[in-house]
Amino acid sequence: MTSTRRLSDHNVSANSFWALTARQRDEVWRELRDHEPVSWQPPAEGGLMPIEDDDGYWAVVRYDDIREVSTNPEIYCSGEGVQLENIPEMFLEPTQSFLAMDAPRHSSLRRLVSAAFTPRRIATIEDQIRSQATRIVDDLLATGDCDFVHNVSMKLPMWTIYEMVGLPAEQQEEVASAADVIVSSNDEDVQAGREPLEVINDAVMTLMTAGLDLAEDRRNHPSDDLMTNLVQAEVDGEQLTDEEISAFFVLLSVAGNDTTRNTISHTAMALAAFPEQRDWLLADFDGRIGTALDEFVRWASPVMTFKRTVTQDTVLNGQPIAAGEKVVMFYPSGNRDERFFERPWEFDLSRSPNKHLSFGGGGPHFCMGQQLAKSQLRAIFGELLHRVPNLELGEPDYLLSNFVNGIKSMPCTLN
Amino acid sequence: MPSAGCIKHDRARCAGLGVCEAIAPEFFEVGGDGEMVVLRADVAPEAEALVREAIESCPTQALSWSE
Repeated sequence: MTSTRRLSDHNVSANSFWALTARQRDEVWRELRDHEPVSWQPPAEGGLMPIEDDDGYWAVVRYDDIREVSTNPEIYCSGEGVQLENIPEMFLEPTQSFLAMDAPRHSSLRRLVSAAFTPRRIATIEDQIRSQATRIVDDLLATGDCDFVHNVSMKLPMWTIYEMVGLPAEQQEEVASAADVIVSSNDEDVQAGREPLEVINDAVMTLMTAGLDLAEDRRNHPSDDLMTNLVQAEVDGEQLTDEEISAFFVLLSVAGNDTTRNTISHTAMALAAFPEQRDWLLADFDGRIGTALDEFVRWASPVMTFKRTVTQDTVLNGQPIAAGEKVVMFYPSGNRDERFFERPWEFDLSRSPNKHLSFGGGGPHFCMGQQLAKSQLRAIFGELLHRVPNLELGEPDYLLSNFVNGIKSMPCTLN
Repeated sequence: MPSAGCIKHDRARCAGLGVCEAIAPEFFEVGGDGEMVVLRADVAPEAEALVREAIESCPTQALSWSE
């Protein structure tokens, strides 16, 4: 079957598109949602490596279509890569782990770590997360005016994920910075004059070394953490290889850090921009935060894209798609789809139900860390809203990325 | 005790995420091995709405309701 490709007039692959504001991007997505829900797009600009036979992908922008792609992994598979950007083979294995796998291997490997992310396990570390949030706000109050991202947003996710994995505190900041580079090598600030490939290579080496050193240590000194679980685990009667363990470590580092960090930054901005929503939440924080958390996450849409490869000729919302072609889901667009959400551009903390796509559109790759992320958001905003009531945020410096909705820095004043 | 219906669990689809447990912890539990167990399959009428919400929220569509 040949699909009927016609390059869309609305290019969502170019860096110039990703340099727009979230609101401007959504105006383009809205055009696509209304008139071209499954559109043919050129390959992502700024890829680490152009792939010669890559002529583009189908962009999926409507809520229902993102759900359909996500929940049919037999047709829309992950095993051939999940990033919009083409990533050289040499980086795929060491960085993607079960993110870029299909059943049954995906299920076996994911289960090795998923048991650490269940509601009951998260509940056991909730006190630690809360006291860490208290410490972060103690430090913020002692520091005074500063960079909100560095002093608040990045701290709690970094501390939480590495506490679970077992990485010593003195290594956490360096390793988390390397994890950031993996998702931000398109940004000129991150490149600092170097080639993206070189930048990412350094970061992967830093992460792999840290992961393998920690694995080696846990083989000799088992502890109660995820790395110990990984070095002791057996799948189909075999232990994990060093490469598999370090890929796990890279995935947990990337997924555990930037997603929650950016959600904290975007939420802090939204609470400042919509003071009546902040007041509504504060009027009964404990009673309302559970509902509000989903709006924090819908609003932020911290992960913007994931790709799938079609395993057989199929049809999506009327558009024929041929086996082997790629589809890319645009989650912020699904989260603003007016067919599904009323008043999608209103930050409404009482929105319920709020079945957003920020943790994915369902299916086997649905976010494993969603309970953990919510615990962190609950803890940090409980502290911030009650103890820093006059927090003011300056202009954010956005990351140029087609993958994460990132904020690099944002000045804050405490008044 | 009257029962409104019962919970069906498709292990092949289940990813052990615990979204159901977060909504209805009296009915669902993901154990230390990452496997989800249905604690009570029979649902009394007063719990039906909660259990149905948990079933509907399952990201992998591993849960269903049967009368």
